[in-house]
Amino acid sequence: MRDLPVSRDLLALARELLLDELLPLLPPERARDAHLIATSMAIAAREAAGGGWREELIGQLCEFYGEDGSLDRFAADLRNGAFETSPSRERAARAILWQLTIAKLREGNPHFLAANGFTQAGLKGE
Amino acid sequence: MAATALPRSEAGPADRQRSLARFLAEASEADAVEIARVALLPGGAIQENWAIDAEFDGGRLSGVQRLVLRTDSSTGVPSSLGRVEEFAVLQAAFAAGVTVPEPLFACADAAVLGKPFFVMRRVAGSALGRPITLDPALEPMRPALAERLGRELARMQSIRPPHVDLDFLITTGAGEHIAGFRAYLDGHPNPRPVLEWVIRWAETHLPDPLPPVLCHRDFRTGNYMLDGAKLTAILDWEFAGWGDPDEDIGWLCCKGWRFGRLDREAGGIAERAPFYRGYESESGRRLDPERVKFWEVMANLRWAVIALQQSDRFLVGGSRNLSTAITGRRATECELELLMLLDPGGIAEYAHA
Repeated sequence: MRDLPVSRDLLALARELLLDELLPLLPPERARDAHLIATSMAIAAREAAGGGWREELIGQLCEFYGEDGSLDRFAADLRNGAFETSPSRERAARAILWQLTIAKLREGNPHFLAANGFTQAGLKGE
Repeated sequence: MAATALPRSEAGPADRQRSLARFLAEASEADAVEIARVALLPGGAIQENWAIDAEFDGGRLSGVQRLVLRTDSSTGVPSSLGRVEEFAVLQAAFAAGVTVPEPLFACADAAVLGKPFFVMRRVAGSALGRPITLDPALEPMRPALAERLGRELARMQSIRPPHVDLDFLITTGAGEHIAGFRAYLDGHPNPRPVLEWVIRWAETHLPDPLPPVLCHRDFRTGNYMLDGAKLTAILDWEFAGWGDPDEDIGWLCCKGWRFGRLDREAGGIAERAPFYRGYESESGRRLDPERVKFWEVMANLRWAVIALQQSDRFLVGGSRNLSTAITGRRATECELELLMLLDPGGIAEYAHA
């Protein structure tokens, strides 16, 4: 068992300290750097919290292929237009693309998802 | 504090300043040039821009002059033009009536400052994207600015091959861009299925080609200067080349360059209509929405690849710069935009899932 507080809480506290107390002390030309650090910490916290989406994605790919599927194979098939002759396969492939992209942005940039009208973007605690 | 010593070379700062003063005097036919101030200007990840205040004794620039010296930074990217070539492009744009800083002198001789550079007049204003898109004081002027940018772009496109002073520029059409994107992804460690799907779409939806024109290839908010609401300069010509007339239109309208105003599709400053109107009235060519959409898709692909290349500086090149490392994450923003452009039906299906 790890010691407490957990890393997610420590990251949140560190981020608050950076933005609320240290940022006002920095010269204006370094403010952007502080925001970049805060953004990196927020990404790390969201990724550490995980959401199990990678396992879900592998499951979707296995279902899509009816056997072991990988993102490499999927990408190669899309390059070759492998699903273009089957509307249902093409639609299923697009569904995976949407879900992959939304899952990545929930961790990487939920603000961008929200700004584009995607709700439940994972902004809790920000 | 801004740096005040000219670009690194084996000579010391005072020697470099003397060397530059001699170069400026000779190039302008002045009896002497005294440099009063040198300061590195902010921005410029690929190039360095130095503000130079200098007094010319005689010659064609006699008097006090405010100049900018532009040279390579240590993080230059291989796909950009050299400074002497960029100077030639700037000269052609200036001659065509595009609003650019007047180009004055270029120097290919590394003995002067250690690397090639060129000198242009310094114009007033700021190019920072967010103030341009968000400052309430600019609100009533933004449609006119968008129209002006359309006119500027059309004027730029009056420069066409063959051009005796620009024979070093290469033509890059959609097919070459697509091949470049795929070559990059072939060497990238993570699969990018969205980009693969979209590149395939682009390959199968190539528009009929138009005669090539001069493309700026970074014509966007953040690369033009405003002094108040007045356009004073279009900057950063290092990616210029021959290409499709709609390539720069797609780039300016690409969502990545809207700086907090995603709803304003012309560079975050206005609707598309005034931008298109300015372009169409100056060029005499009516824009085809399908062609523009194709090039907007290409713009998002290109921005995604550039973003990934930025993080490669950390992943492969050993750079410890956080700003470039984190930029790779923006590729997924481009992928969302590409899905929204090419599968609009999916927005309703997934936006609230």
